[in-house]
Amino acid sequence: MSTSTTAPTTTTELRDAVRDAPGPVVATGAGTAADWAAPPAPDATVISVRGLAGVVAHNPGDMTVAVGAGTPLDALQSALAEHGQRVAFDAARVRRGATVGGLFATADSGPLALAYGSLRDLVIGVTVVLADGTVARSGGHVIKNVAGYDLAKLLHGAHGTFGVMSEVVLRLHPRPPAVRTVALPCPDLAGLPAAGRAVTDTPVEPSALEWSDGRLLVRLEGTEGGVEGRATRLAGLLDGAAELPAADADAAWSSHADAVEGPDGRAVIRVGVRPTQLGEVLTSLVGEADAEDVTAAPATGVATLTVPADAEVVAAVHRRLAAAGGTSTLRSRPAGTDLPAWGPAPASAVLLRAVAASLDPDHRIGRGRMDPWLPRTGAPA
Amino acid sequence: MTTATTGAGSTTGALAADFSALLPDTCVITDEVGLRSYECDGLTGFRQVPAVVVLPRDAEEVAACVRVCARHGVPFVARGAGTGLSGGALPVADGVVISLQKLRRILEIDVENRRAVLEPGVFNLDISGAAAPHGLYYAPDPSSQQVCTIGGNVAENSGGAHCLKYGFTTNHVLEMEVVLADGTLVTLGGPSSEQAGPDLRGLFLGSEGTLGICTKVTVRLLRKPEAVRTVLADFPSIEAAGDTVGAIVEASIVPAAVEMMDSLAMEAAEAAVGAGYTVEAPAALIIELDGPAEECDEQFAEITRLCEEHGATRIHVAGTPEERAKVWKGRKAAFAAVGRISPDYFVQDGVVPRTRLAEVLTRIAEMGSEVGLRVANVFHAGDGNLHPLVLYSEAAGEHETAEDLSSRIAELCVELGGSLSGEHGIGADKACSMTRMFTDDDLAVMQRVRAGFDPDGRCNPGKIFPTPRLCGERPGPFRPHPLEEAGVISRL
Repeated sequence: MSTSTTAPTTTTELRDAVRDAPGPVVATGAGTAADWAAPPAPDATVISVRGLAGVVAHNPGDMTVAVGAGTPLDALQSALAEHGQRVAFDAARVRRGATVGGLFATADSGPLALAYGSLRDLVIGVTVVLADGTVARSGGHVIKNVAGYDLAKLLHGAHGTFGVMSEVVLRLHPRPPAVRTVALPCPDLAGLPAAGRAVTDTPVEPSALEWSDGRLLVRLEGTEGGVEGRATRLAGLLDGAAELPAADADAAWSSHADAVEGPDGRAVIRVGVRPTQLGEVLTSLVGEADAEDVTAAPATGVATLTVPADAEVVAAVHRRLAAAGGTSTLRSRPAGTDLPAWGPAPASAVLLRAVAASLDPDHRIGRGRMDPWLPRTGAPA
Repeated sequence: MTTATTGAGSTTGALAADFSALLPDTCVITDEVGLRSYECDGLTGFRQVPAVVVLPRDAEEVAACVRVCARHGVPFVARGAGTGLSGGALPVADGVVISLQKLRRILEIDVENRRAVLEPGVFNLDISGAAAPHGLYYAPDPSSQQVCTIGGNVAENSGGAHCLKYGFTTNHVLEMEVVLADGTLVTLGGPSSEQAGPDLRGLFLGSEGTLGICTKVTVRLLRKPEAVRTVLADFPSIEAAGDTVGAIVEASIVPAAVEMMDSLAMEAAEAAVGAGYTVEAPAALIIELDGPAEECDEQFAEITRLCEEHGATRIHVAGTPEERAKVWKGRKAAFAAVGRISPDYFVQDGVVPRTRLAEVLTRIAEMGSEVGLRVANVFHAGDGNLHPLVLYSEAAGEHETAEDLSSRIAELCVELGGSLSGEHGIGADKACSMTRMFTDDDLAVMQRVRAGFDPDGRCNPGKIFPTPRLCGERPGPFRPHPLEEAGVISRL
């Protein structure tokens, strides 16, 4: 569908490719979210950032790493593991080779977001190429830094609009020596907020708390003695809670990730509401929108679900979330379907349009991805 | 009534009349004495009397005031408690100061959803105070937390001693209501950590009042940790203390806080509040752990072992909340207490990669010696955030030498791969140094983003970005807040 593909291997080559492309440009990484958000302009030049891969600088003592935006996160995690470190981030599609840049641009996140936030909380510096070939950097290589605007935030969740990232600096955390999972029955989604609070009211400080397949999964990370004691305490405090054997825990989290990614042929939607609304909103979506594959984080109010790939059903989900004061974003979109990616535009969309007009007046970068919040056509000549 | 002409040709009188139509007389300040109390923030060396100060009482009035500014084409500066240390709330000549001090209601403590909804003028510490009966607290704890406001924290993306483990303001804000430069109100962020589209909330946080005025903020509250363990350890050298921090990191331990003080800072703190520091020790660390009890105890044993292994000459475990408070009081007082050992001083704020701490401290000591000035050091060792205090005497004519040394220290941090500021912000103070850290293109792109929010550049102009006018000014000496001298608050 796109006119041509280029694959730069340096920031300079990326700059030239972006600047010299004749019209709209769409950046791609591993392609694990190619069908997320709204479709890019059909005549866009595809620029792959896969050539911008690998560690640029890893400073284990400073707990930071700079990588090319096209670096697959799973490969990076393996390299960091040798130093006892990790990026505290575990979105489901990481296992399919998703790149750091792609995970960032799509604002993806996994169960660890409870304790560590999403990549917006972990990225401390970024280098970005704008449509006119300007190369700009913000942040830096230190975790604590308030100098200048944090341009990375603008690119988080922008699905490849505004600019193309070439390099990303991440803060790291130690790999926990021990991990345990405690499972707690929670058959009814309506009871989810209360079940979640029962866990977070204890002092065990889970690093992840997710509902999947009729139960709550509580991940505890820390020292061997620490997680053992916390798992035992949790099992003693909450009715029906029991620690899962390691193999069962792995299977449970893997099944959770499968649900987040959803089966082929259905539309995947990520939603966010106030935690206390989660039970009611999800119950209504199951009843009224045929929602399935539900996973939910009762402490953060974030959930992922699938619905039939029908434009009216997806639009109804957006409306339901907007009515609840929440947010919704279309993720996977089955091939050949035309589904509304975004809900009603918030008042702040005026800022998106103004910033886009300032950074990329012809809307070349990622044109179409944020339609209708951003124009799907370039500026008139 | 003054008839000074504002930037766009409106007279101050016409401007004030428009404000008076919106607000009661007590909320519009135009007299010289009243205006003068807004002429600076915590960076007292920079002063500028504004044309008008307004004190709106709610978000709608803030928006209406901003619309008046828009109509007259005059710049405005939002101001909270005025405790900022980089001149972020420095007024603009012929401009308006919009004080948020009347917007100080805690609108909601939502226990079940663990969040607080606040007006911008709420004091940071009062958030935790209101949450405490529910076993909750607000994590970011800038040292001035008794007197700084959440609106200012939003503007500066404030940290605090415990941000090593818990992160900064940006990691704790869910949603904000913001007045844009044209007076429209928009919401940034949302009710969960999940946002649809770009993270404009994150872009706004830390933008130092240059993108708009925050009029309402929803922050996350955390459950108070089950256990807290605090140790004060003396070391025979800065290097030994620095190596201990490195060993803690290598041991995969993330303490809640790791603070370091040198002997000069401890001497001053001890003289001021008697926190029990060993003034002869070349360096000391305050290390605090928190979390579930099992984890805390296990890691605390490891930390004390690492301190011993690195030659700690004294290890004092603060075993009670009172003892812990005493250790921290000394740390918080250290800064203002420096006034006891030097007539004047500049405080600097810079960041280096943690592994280069010893190197930067050696260089700072050398630079001080070269110009004959002492530098005391109190800093957040865990994340490489330095707060060198350049001691000097105004009376002895050392102002310019000290100011130059202080600026060179911040720029040295950039040279070593760090940042001009870890928490005080750039403001008016360091705008001229920004070209050391960023290229012209970097700064131009930031300005283009700003233009999307504020095309006429009326929202806190003259901050963050270098301008010729600003870079010609010479700041006066620093003066501490009385509460700092008492060890009640601190700025580092």
